[in-house]
Amino acid sequence: MLAVQVAAAPERPTVLLVEDEVLIRLMIADELRGQGLQVLEASNADEALTILESSLSVHLLFTDVRMPGRMDGLALAKLAQARFPRLKLIIASSREPEEPSRTSADAFISKPYDLNQVVEQVEKILAQTDHGR
Amino acid sequence: MADKQQPFSAISETVLVVEDEVLLRLVIAQYLRDCGYKVIEAADADEAVLVLKQPDLVVDVLFSDIEMPGAMDGFALAQWSRSNRPGLEVILTGTVPGAVNAAANLCKEGPLPKPYEPQSVHDRIRRLLAARPPKKG
Repeated sequence: MLAVQVAAAPERPTVLLVEDEVLIRLMIADELRGQGLQVLEASNADEALTILESSLSVHLLFTDVRMPGRMDGLALAKLAQARFPRLKLIIASSREPEEPSRTSADAFISKPYDLNQVVEQVEKILAQTDHGR
Repeated sequence: MADKQQPFSAISETVLVVEDEVLLRLVIAQYLRDCGYKVIEAADADEAVLVLKQPDLVVDVLFSDIEMPGAMDGFALAQWSRSNRPGLEVILTGTVPGAVNAAANLCKEGPLPKPYEPQSVHDRIRRLLAARPPKKG
């Protein structure tokens, strides 16, 4: 019931941020919220899937590759793209992922994060959707 | 519609929300942001401790679920916070009646039973912050 209340709020461009390191997640989420974006935070792939399968709108999935748990960021991305073909995708990693993961993503961001690059890429990808500004 | 008025300086206060159920966490976190708070989200107690160990991250209120997976539940997190962040206001919430009652001595107003209305969380936070002694300087 509560989730429905959030979904009913005026729709802003929404980024689902998946990052298991809480301080990094906080830093990125703060920066993106500062740009006026709606940010949903997930600490692992399972949480991300729970959000994606809920009634909440997500326009861009931004996921780290290396995460603990049964699914890493690449597996999450593959699953999410299969289920939600319109979902935009940014992959972040300290190592450049191999093909075809590299080309299936809308953008790749290398870690450690450069906040300016993160904002630039997120806004660029969102601009390709109906929710660009 | 919930009352989100801010009768005092709530706009600059920070709430650390600790909840392992992601949909619950994001809903209460978003609600509190809409109320004007800065909100930090933690998925479990380990993440919360990591946040609370950062000397440059100001946290005014810890709002934590009691029942969480991992080495530390909400009680242990509250006790850790009492020892390491003595000025921190703590609100615990949970569904297990015994556990909720046991939380009473860790929280000024006792625990908040689940399921809760977001407005009741906001009301509790406002009361706790209003009762705090004014900051020096």
